[in-house]
Amino acid sequence: MSFTIALTVEEALTALARGARPIAGGSDLVVGARHGKAPLPDHLVAIDRIDSLRTVTVDDGGLAIGAGVSHDTIERHPQIAANWSALADGSALVGSPATRHVGTIGGNICNASPAMDTGAALVVLAATVELASVGGTRLVPIGELWTGPGRTAVRADELCTAVHLPSPPAASGSAYLRLEYRRAMEIAVVGAGAAVTLAPGGTVAAVRVALSAVAPTIVEVDGLPTGDLAAVGEAAAALASEQARPISDVRASDRYRRHAVGVIARRAVLAAARRAGGESIAVPVNRALGIGAAS
Amino acid sequence: MFAMRDSWRTMSTATAPDSAPPRFVRADGPDKVTGTGRYTADLTLTGMLAAKFRYAGIAHARIARLDTTAARAIPGVFAVLTQADVPDVRYGGMVFDRTLFANEVVRFEGEVVAAVAAIDAATAQRAVDAIVVEYEPLPVVNDPEAALAPDTPLVHPQWQSYGASRQLVRDGNDASYASIAKGDVDAGLAAADVVVTSRYHADGSHAAPIEPRSVVAQWEGDKVTIWSSTQVPYDARAGVCDTLELPSNRVRIIVPHLGGGFGGKCGFHFEAHVAALARAARRPVRLQFTRREEFLAPDRRRESIAFEFETGVQRDGTITARRARLVIDNGAYTADAGFFSQLAAMHALGPYRIPNALAEAHLVYTNHQPSGSVRAPTAPQCCWALESHTDEVARAVGIDPLEFRRRNAVDSGVEGPSGQTYGEIGLQQCLDAAAELAGYGQPLPDDEAIGVAIGWWPSFASPSGAYVRLDADGSGQIVTGAQECGTGAVMTLRQLAADELGMQADDFQLVYQDTAAAPYDMGATGSQTLFNNGRAVVAAAGQVAEQLKRLAAERLEADPADIVLAGGVAHVAGTPDKRVDIAKLAAIAGGGELLIGHGSGAPPDAPELHGSTCVGDVSMAAWVAPQFSCHAARVKVDRDTGVARVLHVSAAHDSGTIINPIAAEGQVQGAVVMGIGQALSEGTRYDEQAHQLNPGLLEYKLQTAADAPPIAIHFVQIATPDAGPRGAKGLAEAPNVATAAAIANAIANVIGTPVRQLPMTAERVWEASLGGAAAAPTAPRTAGASA
Repeated sequence: MSFTIALTVEEALTALARGARPIAGGSDLVVGARHGKAPLPDHLVAIDRIDSLRTVTVDDGGLAIGAGVSHDTIERHPQIAANWSALADGSALVGSPATRHVGTIGGNICNASPAMDTGAALVVLAATVELASVGGTRLVPIGELWTGPGRTAVRADELCTAVHLPSPPAASGSAYLRLEYRRAMEIAVVGAGAAVTLAPGGTVAAVRVALSAVAPTIVEVDGLPTGDLAAVGEAAAALASEQARPISDVRASDRYRRHAVGVIARRAVLAAARRAGGESIAVPVNRALGIGAAS
Repeated sequence: MFAMRDSWRTMSTATAPDSAPPRFVRADGPDKVTGTGRYTADLTLTGMLAAKFRYAGIAHARIARLDTTAARAIPGVFAVLTQADVPDVRYGGMVFDRTLFANEVVRFEGEVVAAVAAIDAATAQRAVDAIVVEYEPLPVVNDPEAALAPDTPLVHPQWQSYGASRQLVRDGNDASYASIAKGDVDAGLAAADVVVTSRYHADGSHAAPIEPRSVVAQWEGDKVTIWSSTQVPYDARAGVCDTLELPSNRVRIIVPHLGGGFGGKCGFHFEAHVAALARAARRPVRLQFTRREEFLAPDRRRESIAFEFETGVQRDGTITARRARLVIDNGAYTADAGFFSQLAAMHALGPYRIPNALAEAHLVYTNHQPSGSVRAPTAPQCCWALESHTDEVARAVGIDPLEFRRRNAVDSGVEGPSGQTYGEIGLQQCLDAAAELAGYGQPLPDDEAIGVAIGWWPSFASPSGAYVRLDADGSGQIVTGAQECGTGAVMTLRQLAADELGMQADDFQLVYQDTAAAPYDMGATGSQTLFNNGRAVVAAAGQVAEQLKRLAAERLEADPADIVLAGGVAHVAGTPDKRVDIAKLAAIAGGGELLIGHGSGAPPDAPELHGSTCVGDVSMAAWVAPQFSCHAARVKVDRDTGVARVLHVSAAHDSGTIINPIAAEGQVQGAVVMGIGQALSEGTRYDEQAHQLNPGLLEYKLQTAADAPPIAIHFVQIATPDAGPRGAKGLAEAPNVATAAAIANAIANVIGTPVRQLPMTAERVWEASLGGAAAAPTAPRTAGASA
C-alpha cells in the first residue's frame, strides 16, 4: 500500500504510470470502498493539492475547469451560472454542502455514474475532456468518454486534468433538472440537461438534450426538431421517453422513469429557453422552479 | 421558520395555566451540540476486543452444518460463540420464541448465527467469514396475508410449545389475534345510508436513529458491566439475566449519551451476546454496528399492515358502524409486538363515536425482520389508513372532512369505540386549532390542498423510582432510573424537583442511565418518562421538602405546615421576613440527618370499559390519560411526476399540562418531520426471497433538514386527573400519529383519489392519479354506496 501526495500534474502522472490510482475528494472512492463496492487501490496518488487542477479560466475560447475544481466552486461561479448554467444547476444538486466541497468535477466525470448530475449538462454544453499521461495529452468529446456504468475510455495511466466548454452562441441558455424525492443527499431518479439557442422571434434555432439515470451512460436525445418552442418541448418529452432505456430498481420502475424523463426533458428545454431569452432563473432550477421536489 | 413561539402565545384554552412555564435549555444540550458528549462507541477499555456477527443471510433455512473450527484457528481470535455455547433459553416479550443465536433454523436474513471476538474488527470479520454454514432452504413466508392461509408453511412449527402470555390468542402463523367488538356491526351497516369499503397497505419502515448501536461488556469476577446504546436499560438487564441465567445484581447496564432511538433501541438486543463473548474471551469486548447492520439485525422495525375497512354512515354524516380487519407483519420473532394487534385494532376504530364496531387484527409470523415498538407502534399506519378511509366516507355523503370529524370525533363525556367514557379531553379544540393554524378553507392554487387527520395515543402507567438529595453545600442530586433518548424528558425532571423544593433547575445534577445506581424505570418507551418518573421525582423531592420544612420550622419557631419553600428560601407563610436560606438548612442537615428522599408513587389505574368485548385482551383498549391530536398538512403535488411536497404542517395536541415547552415543541417538530418521511419516502422493500432491498440511508430515504416545512404547534392544555405530574400526559409518540394521514388526505384532495399504499412515493402518487392498479398491492374495492 502506498499513498503519494502529488503537488504537480507531472508528479501525479509519474505515479499513475507506476500503477497508482488518483484520489481527489474521495467521495466516490472511499465511500465505495466502505460499502464494499470495490476495495481501495493498493497505490493511491492524491491530486487534491495540485493547484493547477483547481483553476477556472474563462476566455474567448470558452470555459476551462480544472479537474480538481469542487462542485461548490462551480455552483458559486458567476460566469458559469450565467453562461453554462446547466453545469451550475447540476453541481448545485450533488449530495450535500459537505459533498460539494470535497467532490470534484473530474472525479464526477470519471466515476461515470449514469445518475451523475453534471454529465447531462456537459453533453449539451459540448464539453471535451482533457486526458494527460506521461506520454502526452489528448482531448476526448464528453460523449465518447463513458462506455458503461462506472466505465470510461480513460486509460489507467491517464489523469483527467480539465474540462473544456466552448462559449455558447448568442441567445443561448441551458438548464439541468432532475426528479428527486428529497432536497439533499439525493441521487437523480431521472435527470435531463438542455441547451437551447433561440432564433429572432423566439423560435428554437438549436437544441440539445441529454438524459441521466435512464441508460447505462448519460445519453443524448436524437432527432430533436427546431422551430416552435412548445412543439420542441413536446418532441423532447416524447423522444426522451422513447429513447430512454431505464431499469427498474428500488428508486423507481422502468415505466415510471420512462414517463418522468419525458416530463423532465420538456421542462429542461423550457427552462433553458427562458434563460436563452434573457430571463434569470437562479441556480439550481430544481429549487428556483420547484421542479422535481416542488417548492 | 417554526411558528412555535407564536402558537404558544395564542394558547387559548380555559384551563391554561396562569403564566407560561419557564423555557429552559436542557442540561445535556451543550455536550451533544459541541461534540464533547461521550457515547458508547467512544469508550475504549484496556485490552478491548472487537465483536462481529455472522448473520444468516438467508430468510428461512435449516442449518445443515455449522463449523467454527477454521474461525477459531485464526490468530487474534479470542472467542467464537454459537447457540451451543450459551444456556438453552428461549426469550421474548410476550411469546418466548427466540434464542440468542439461531437454533437449528434461521428465520430471517439478519438472524445471528455466530459471534466472534477478536483483536480488531478486521480480524473478527475474517473469522466471521471463515465460519462454515450450510443451509437447507425452507419455503420463505414473505406475505403476511398469505401466511394466514391454512396450507402456508409455519414459521414456527413448534409454536404451541413456546411459553407465552396467557392473554395472547395464538394459532400457527397468527402470533396474536385480537378483536374489539361493540354493539351489532351487521345491524349498524344495514341501517346506514351509505357503506364505504376501502383497502390500504402500509409498508414496513425503520426507526433509523443517527447512532448505530454499540455495546461494550466487561467482566469483573462474576459481575458484568455492560455499556449499551439502549433506550431501556432495565429491560436490557432483564434480557441478559434471562438468557445468561444471572441474578440482576450481577448485571449492571450503563448508558452513556444515547444517539437517538425512536423505539428502535427498545427491548433487549445484543447485550447478552457481547457479555457472553467477553466472558469467553476473558477480555472486554465492543460490538459496533454498521449502518447496514442497524437496518437488518435489530428486532425493532415498524411493521407493515394490510387494512380492510367498512364504514356505514347516514346522509347527515353520522357513523352507524365500522368493521376493520388488519393483518400485521410480525416478522420472524415476536419481540415486543404481542400487544400490537389490540393496539392496532383500537387505532383502526379511531377516536370516533361508533355505536357498532368490530375491529379484528392478526399479528402474523413471516420470514421478515421482527417488528417491534417504533415511535407509536401501529398508530401512524393505522391513522393513515383510517383517516384516508374517513375522507372517503365524508366524500361519499358530501360533507367537508373537517366538519365530518367534528360531528363524529369523541369529546368529553363521550363513549369511545372500546367502551371507555372520556373525562375532559381536548380533541374538538385540537380540530379547531389545527384548522385555524392551517388556514383551512383558504383559496389555494389548484396543485395544492390541505388535508386533516385526527389521532390518539394512550399514556402508559408504570412503576418507576427516583432518589433526590441535597448535599451540605445546598446543591441537589437526582438519581433516577429514567433513560434520556433525546426527548428531553429526563432533563425536565430537574424542573419538577426544583419546583417542589423552591429551587432552580440548575441547582440539580442528574445521575441516570445506570441500573446499579438508581431504582427501576421502564425506560425511554411509551412516552412514559415524565409521566411516571416525574411522579417518582416529585415524591422523592417531597420527602426532602418535608425535612427542610421541619428544619426551618425549628429555627423560625413555626409549624412545619406553615413553611413555604420558594426562591431558595424557606419562610413562614404570610411572613416573608421570617426566613432562612435553603442552603443554610442543607449545611445544618449535612452535620446531622442527611437530606435524602426516595419516591415512586402509585401509577394511575386503568379506566373501566362498558359494553365492549375484547378477545386477546392485553390491556390496550382501556387507556390511561389518552392523548388526542389533529394535524393539518398543506401539500403541493406535481401532477406530472407525482412528487408531493409538504409546504406547512399545523399540529394541535391535547397532551395534558405542558411542563417544559421547549422540549414539548421539539417533540412535535421532530415527530412531524418523521411523519413526513413515513408519508412520502420511508419504506422497506423486500425481494421475493425476503431480503431487504434498501437497508441503507441512500435508498431508505429519510427526510433532510432541507425538506422540513414550517410547523405550527398548539397545545390544548387540560390538567388531567389520573395522569402524570400536574396533569401531564405523555407526548413523545403522539405527534408521530397523524402527520402521514394529514398528508395523504391533502394529496387525495389534489389528485382526486387516495393513494392506497404507504409510503406515498412519487411513483405511487402518479400511478394513483392515473387510476392505475399499481397504486394498491391488490385491486382496491372502490368507495361506493349500497342500500
